[in-house]
Amino acid sequence: MMTRNLLWAVLASSIFSLLTATIFFILDAVDVSLTEAAVGAGIATILFVFTLKHLEINLKKSKSNNTILGLSLIVIVLLVFNLMDDFPRFGESKITQNSNVTEYYLENSNSEMGIPNVVTSILAGYRAFDTLGEVIVIFIAGVSVIGILREEKENE
Amino acid sequence: MSKISIVSIISVLMIPLILIFSLYVQFHGEFSAGGGFQAGVIFASAFILYSLVFGIEKSQSVISLETSQRLMALGLSIYLLVGLIGIMSGANFLDYNVLSANPTSGQMLGIFLVEIGVGLTVANVMIVVFYSFANMKVTKK
Repeated sequence: MMTRNLLWAVLASSIFSLLTATIFFILDAVDVSLTEAAVGAGIATILFVFTLKHLEINLKKSKSNNTILGLSLIVIVLLVFNLMDDFPRFGESKITQNSNVTEYYLENSNSEMGIPNVVTSILAGYRAFDTLGEVIVIFIAGVSVIGILREEKENE
Repeated sequence: MSKISIVSIISVLMIPLILIFSLYVQFHGEFSAGGGFQAGVIFASAFILYSLVFGIEKSQSVISLETSQRLMALGLSIYLLVGLIGIMSGANFLDYNVLSANPTSGQMLGIFLVEIGVGLTVANVMIVVFYSFANMKVTKK
């Protein structure tokens, strides 16, 4: 889909996120689906629209070199298609190298953690340190947004 | 927006449901799909819907920017504190076994507390980012 209207592009990406969330839901990844629907389709779209409100960009005037962009895209797509045979088959059980860990989690999560949701027990239990890093990243992102936008206010 | 429109009526009906659903995802995350991150995002989206329909001022009278900033730091602190309690009790960082007499219930308690921290931080970061974008005044050149 090609458009020169930025608002349409934002709406298209929102619809794409919603479709991706549906695909995640069909693939039984409900946690990812919830996140994608709320962040990708909801909050990100609203933030994009708020930003667009402040922008005055006329894409018709800007002349970008589309031939180089198109050619490089075609090359990337061909490369990915070439490598597709190396990907694991859909639904294959041993897709990671360390599948011993996967089996350990699935077998021992309920007896060690006492909770039936293995996703939660991996995220907050076995890999709690990773999740701490994620929370810190989100926190830093929030702090940076406050810092950047507040400075802009004071400059007025 | 003082006019009663279809959007405002529908969102008045929907927002309590969204908030309850986010609390369900938060506190029932150990037994069904979800967790702190999802709950926080859903909670924030309810607030964003409210401020889109009724205006940012009304929303900021419920949770102000300052409160939101403090809560976002509080969430991260809860997470770190749960980790530090492990060190204080002589175990590893973020070791939940020592939180309770029984290791399994200690794990459950630890995951529960950590998820609350994640939920608080995520929800308030989303609200803070939204407030910052909504209050943004860019001088047009």
